[in-house]
Amino acid sequence: MGRKMRYLYLEIKKTVKLLPHMLLQILLLLGLLAVVVVGAVRSMGREALAVRAEIAVVVREELAGLALHYVENIESVSRFCRFRQTTEQEGFELLNHGEVTALVLMPEQLLEGIMNGTNPAVEIYFPKQAGLEAMFFREMTEAGEGLLRVAQAQIYGAGDMAREFGLTEQLSRIETEIDSYNLAFALDRLALYDQEKVSAFGAVNAAQFYLASGTILFLLLAGMAMYPVVCKEKPAFCRQLTREGTGEIWQSFCQWVCGFLCVSLFAGILWAAGRLFAVFGPQDAVKYLTAGGGYPSHIGVGIGVVILMTVTALIYLVHSLAGSRTVGILLVFVVSVVMVFLSGGLVPAMFLPQHVRTVGEWLPTAWLMRAVSGLFAGRGAGVSGEGVAVLCGYTVLCTAAACFVRRSRGLL
Amino acid sequence: MITVTGLTSAYGRKPVLQGVSFTAWRGDCVGIVGANGCGKSTLLSILAGTLKPKSGQVSYYGRAAWSDAGGGRMHGNREVIRRMTGYVPQENPLIPELSVYDNLRLWYPDKKTLQNELEQGFLNLLGLDEFSAKRVSKLSGGMKKRVSIGIAMAGMPPVLLMDEPGAALDLICKEDIRRYLQVYLERRGTVVIATHEESELDLCSALYIMKDGRLHQADRCLRGEALTGRM
Repeated sequence: MGRKMRYLYLEIKKTVKLLPHMLLQILLLLGLLAVVVVGAVRSMGREALAVRAEIAVVVREELAGLALHYVENIESVSRFCRFRQTTEQEGFELLNHGEVTALVLMPEQLLEGIMNGTNPAVEIYFPKQAGLEAMFFREMTEAGEGLLRVAQAQIYGAGDMAREFGLTEQLSRIETEIDSYNLAFALDRLALYDQEKVSAFGAVNAAQFYLASGTILFLLLAGMAMYPVVCKEKPAFCRQLTREGTGEIWQSFCQWVCGFLCVSLFAGILWAAGRLFAVFGPQDAVKYLTAGGGYPSHIGVGIGVVILMTVTALIYLVHSLAGSRTVGILLVFVVSVVMVFLSGGLVPAMFLPQHVRTVGEWLPTAWLMRAVSGLFAGRGAGVSGEGVAVLCGYTVLCTAAACFVRRSRGLL
Repeated sequence: MITVTGLTSAYGRKPVLQGVSFTAWRGDCVGIVGANGCGKSTLLSILAGTLKPKSGQVSYYGRAAWSDAGGGRMHGNREVIRRMTGYVPQENPLIPELSVYDNLRLWYPDKKTLQNELEQGFLNLLGLDEFSAKRVSKLSGGMKKRVSIGIAMAGMPPVLLMDEPGAALDLICKEDIRRYLQVYLERRGTVVIATHEESELDLCSALYIMKDGRLHQADRCLRGEALTGRM
């Protein structure tokens, strides 16, 4: 065995010797996280979520304004929407600044068009980064548009039938019948809310979402205990190794590998706990957590390895930037919590301001959480080849940056 | 034989070594003394190959270790430096979480050689066999220094470079180190030692004082002045 392999072996041996101490810290961390999770769940159970959308409306005729006023006062609409009349230019500006959830452009002669059957289109614009309110409004609009289309088809169909069978005198009665049925059943908007689901968590359910973000937060915070593993050896030792032909890159690689082994072990502990829960926990909860089915095992393992590599690279970079144990622990804590928050891991991104969402979307933690969600919920959760490629890119980038920092500080 | 000719070095624009030259023969012990920050450690780092000189030449037993590669660049023959020198830096190059045996194992080519050295070789003389299973973090400063010397002796190099080996050690440890050096010199090894310790200077066959980046050969009877850096 050459000196390089002996060094790798000894670094791994050192890591193993440090494990009991690290595991103790991890158990403390798990306990702390459990307390926070239980507290948060209780708090969320007590408070109802209130969402209200502000819609900019461009009205081009007086009659349409009256119609808008009528619609605004319908109870199911007023519970959720507040309309704001603007000019077209002002409306687009508000939409671009994220101050309104949607912009509705009502055409000229809207009511006349409805009466004579030309039906001029109402244009509705949504922001590119649609928030939860915009998603609600889009669902409502699409459902309403669908219902209207069906109602119109019914009336036109009834008219054609009446004409064909010589019942034109009965037409107005038939239309009244159709209207009354629609109003009684199909246009029950409150019933619509019971059937359509709009989730702030995207394609995963709340449990999967918080399990994913909790897993990433735990793995990153576990990095606080990893300083002795991923930190540089003493300068005298590094110089002696370099002198003997074991260069800086290999030294960094060995510490990175040890960090990866630690992160893998911590993830293994989580996985084992998950398996125990799957066997002994309430089956309803297990079914809820694994809704979507996950991936075939070989793909799941592959994605899991990429996730662990990215987490390792992040921890490695933060400790390299810190340069000392105390600063490292503090920096890992702050960076982990802030990044997970900005990525919408603590509060779903839908509820965060637009500019925070834009930043958070490109943080590695956002991609990590998506990938972990995918492990629970399968392909529907949005993890894709692109996601895996981005995680690989972050791994390379963070590791290279860490090496650069270490080299520039003469730590290697 | 060590030949050092016209060695210069600088940290940024600040010159540290300015034309350092000396020669040492087999069995010689060269002592280098001087005030703190005068460049002793820089000189030893260059001789050990962990620092690049600006200009000059260094050769061990006729084989060039540092030479001018032209265009103001220096070429270091790391293989020669590695084979010919053992280096004991001021800080101990050890992994504190591992045992003495594991630390030594990194530097020795195979287990058999290490075992032989521990049972009947130089490591045995250093007394490392007695506490080879102990974790380095539990060792005293003197014991750690002995392990560092043991590491430098891996492969029994003909030249031993020691940077203040007795610093912060008690008298017994200093005496022990002196004894090991004596054995090494009797085996026709060459030692270059940077030191403030009078006991270590007793072994020196040549004494140099480093001042303003230059080496001045000192008379052994002026040792006291040399140690205080007043020359």
